[in-house]
Amino acid sequence: MLEETEDEYLNRCAAAAQDFVDFLDEEDVDDDEYFHRLMVYHKPGGSDQTRTRPVPFPDPTQTVDEPRGVVRVGFITGQVRHEAQRRAGQASPTEQHFVWSRVGFVFRLVCSSRLRRGGREELYMWTWKALNQREDGSLRPSAFRRGVVSSRASSLQLSNAKEFISLHRGAINSLEIDSTEGEGRYLLSAASDGTVAVFDTHRPTSSSSSSSTSIAQHHPLFHLPRAHKFAISRALWYPVDTGLFITASFDHYVKLWDTNSTQVVLDYKLPAKVYGIAMSSIATSHSLIATATADVQVRLCDLASGAFAHTLSGHRDGVMSLEWSSSTEFVLITGGCDGAIRFWDIRRPGTFLLLDQSLSQLGTRPPLLPTPTPSNNESTSLPASSKSSSSTPILPAQKRRSHKKIQLKPPTQSSHPGMASSQNRATAHYGAVNGLRATADGFYLLSSGSDSRLRLWDIESGRNTLVNYEAMSIQTSKPIQLAVTPDSSLVFVPCLASLKAYDLWSGTTINTYRGHYESVNCCFFNAQDQELYTGSNDRQILVWSPSIPAATQIEEADSKGGITSIDQDNWSD
Amino acid sequence: MAESSQSKSGGKKRSRSESEGDPDADADAASLQSIQLENDLNFTDTAIALQMMKAQFPKLDKVVVRPFILRSQLYSSVKDRTQVDRDLESLKKEAVVRVFKLNTGKDDHAIMFMDDYLAQMENAVKRYDAKDKQLSDVFDWFKQYVIKSKTDVSISHPELCSLLSNGGDVTEKHVTLLINAGLLTCQLIDQNLYWFVIPNIGSILKGLSQGRKELLSLINRTKYKEMVLANLEKKRLRLSPLDIRFHIRDLIGSGLLKTVQSPIGLLIRLSRD
Repeated sequence: MLEETEDEYLNRCAAAAQDFVDFLDEEDVDDDEYFHRLMVYHKPGGSDQTRTRPVPFPDPTQTVDEPRGVVRVGFITGQVRHEAQRRAGQASPTEQHFVWSRVGFVFRLVCSSRLRRGGREELYMWTWKALNQREDGSLRPSAFRRGVVSSRASSLQLSNAKEFISLHRGAINSLEIDSTEGEGRYLLSAASDGTVAVFDTHRPTSSSSSSSTSIAQHHPLFHLPRAHKFAISRALWYPVDTGLFITASFDHYVKLWDTNSTQVVLDYKLPAKVYGIAMSSIATSHSLIATATADVQVRLCDLASGAFAHTLSGHRDGVMSLEWSSSTEFVLITGGCDGAIRFWDIRRPGTFLLLDQSLSQLGTRPPLLPTPTPSNNESTSLPASSKSSSSTPILPAQKRRSHKKIQLKPPTQSSHPGMASSQNRATAHYGAVNGLRATADGFYLLSSGSDSRLRLWDIESGRNTLVNYEAMSIQTSKPIQLAVTPDSSLVFVPCLASLKAYDLWSGTTINTYRGHYESVNCCFFNAQDQELYTGSNDRQILVWSPSIPAATQIEEADSKGGITSIDQDNWSD
Repeated sequence: MAESSQSKSGGKKRSRSESEGDPDADADAASLQSIQLENDLNFTDTAIALQMMKAQFPKLDKVVVRPFILRSQLYSSVKDRTQVDRDLESLKKEAVVRVFKLNTGKDDHAIMFMDDYLAQMENAVKRYDAKDKQLSDVFDWFKQYVIKSKTDVSISHPELCSLLSNGGDVTEKHVTLLINAGLLTCQLIDQNLYWFVIPNIGSILKGLSQGRKELLSLINRTKYKEMVLANLEKKRLRLSPLDIRFHIRDLIGSGLLKTVQSPIGLLIRLSRD
């Protein structure tokens, strides 16, 4: 009935964002959900109107204990079990392959497959039990989605379906995907040779086809060879849309570019080399670019007027990393080469909070008498430690100490709430702070230092949560870019030539991603597709996507035509 | 079960031969000696780990130093590092232990029990005879006011003066006396900040860093960069007065070595990254 092949049809539907129509008649079309290629779709006009793309399913390591049909379920549970075993490392991928080939694929719908959509290949795994729960409403769509997303995020591997062809001739220092609502599509990369490139992560430009797999290649949409004279340390998209992007370089300039014409619209000259820039993505009343330079002052550049708004001084050495708060549009967090992390409210002068690594959350309570010290710490208590008896002896000591501190301040310096800590030498790290990342909910801050430590801070109280991230070694010379998953479960840290993923709350190493030949500088987690992009000194951008089981080989054999022979067993090839 | 009994009997055999040929064998109980490191590598609780490691601290003949434990050793012994940090923090606040930052160049911290530290301090003060007897009151003030209230690893100059002035008038000479006695050290980056230090520990620190290098080179020289733990324990380090168990624990905790289970037992392998 259709003259185009199925793949072309799928591509066309994907491009138009339409639902797919199942080619095979299945008796399941009685529900408003139907299956095609092991994915659940909703018929247009079905209960869940919002879903126009196939729904991936949660963790297949959940046990399946309630089969409903005979053939399909038996097959599916077998497949799920094998997938679970494979993930547990007990069954080899080839064993799973045998399971697949064994059932024979009379029904195309009962195989897991790749879905091509505009060049992007995804794989969805399926759990019968979760599907039942979705059907009878006991599992909400958001919980469903969360389970799937987190299982995909923790199963990343070097992608064998997608690659970026980078034309950079220098180390890649910065990667960023635009943060437009609902679609994070364009990847902006900046390198040490002064070049900037933008990639489209959804559509490949070509594909290199080999015998069994074809890798979708993404060439840059444009590549600016001489954007800056020296190395570019950071490139950012304008938070509102992709019409503008901003680059900061070691040649002391911050430039604002128009994306469509790739011309410089504005530039700012700074007194020293720029290590980092940041723009607040939630800001509605200001459009300030905060710049971190080797100079001790943090300068805010105003986009609307083209001039500098004001400067924040307080650091003792250069500032290496900065980040706007993800909950307030007026709070800026900076990390300096002196090891201090300062919080600034840009409406007032001075730092209002300085993070001290020796202050932990243990047993803190606000002082009984109001002291003039500006950094009033809220009380938080650790869930793990229950030593509340230790809190009372601390209290008089703290009070006495703060009282003494006030006496020693030189009387000529007027103190007001903003000017807390020009005297405060507290350090957050023993070396320079070279990476900062706030969690998406705005409660916690992660900071990485050149003392090879990653620390988690509770922002509200300003205390060290003492979560210990297992041994890592962080390069000391450059600012690095950390990545956190939006549900705050994993943090990705570049450690020399590999990238490590840690559980945010307990500090255990979940995964180590080894693929680069030289030190990794930056990483970005694409929350839409649960992919991780990393850039390193070896001039490559690598893509890490959720792992694909070996069943894809069946798909190839199947598409060449005909039903594969059922007469196979575990030992057949 | 059979495996563990076998290793225990093997341990006993080794301890006998070890104690024969080992001139400075520990005065520790023979039972501790016979427990192989393999069985003793993991503890459940930080406090227990601290006590056990303090008991296993090697006896040094040249220098008298009370037992201290490195932070990386704790990390290798107790599974959950975050829990170790938090327990250590509460122990610090209760003034049971004291944490010091060592100046080996790497990020080392030493943990010492409070009574050990006070005893060490007494020894140091006794050995250092102050020229000016009036100034030696500062040691008492230091012990009474500074140590009790300041539980961090470092202290700033104004704060030190203010705390010491609870005892009496403080001048620069008092602070100089404290530094000369070896109780405080200036920080290199900032003149106004001082580290607390364990007095008379300098030679041991040298032994620590040299012993680390020697142990790493020992494993590096093997063909596959790994060695069975039982064999490794029997070796003696030339350059370090501390015994090899100390160094093994320390290197495992800081991530330079890793342990691998094998049918023979526990293997120590150089970790690559």
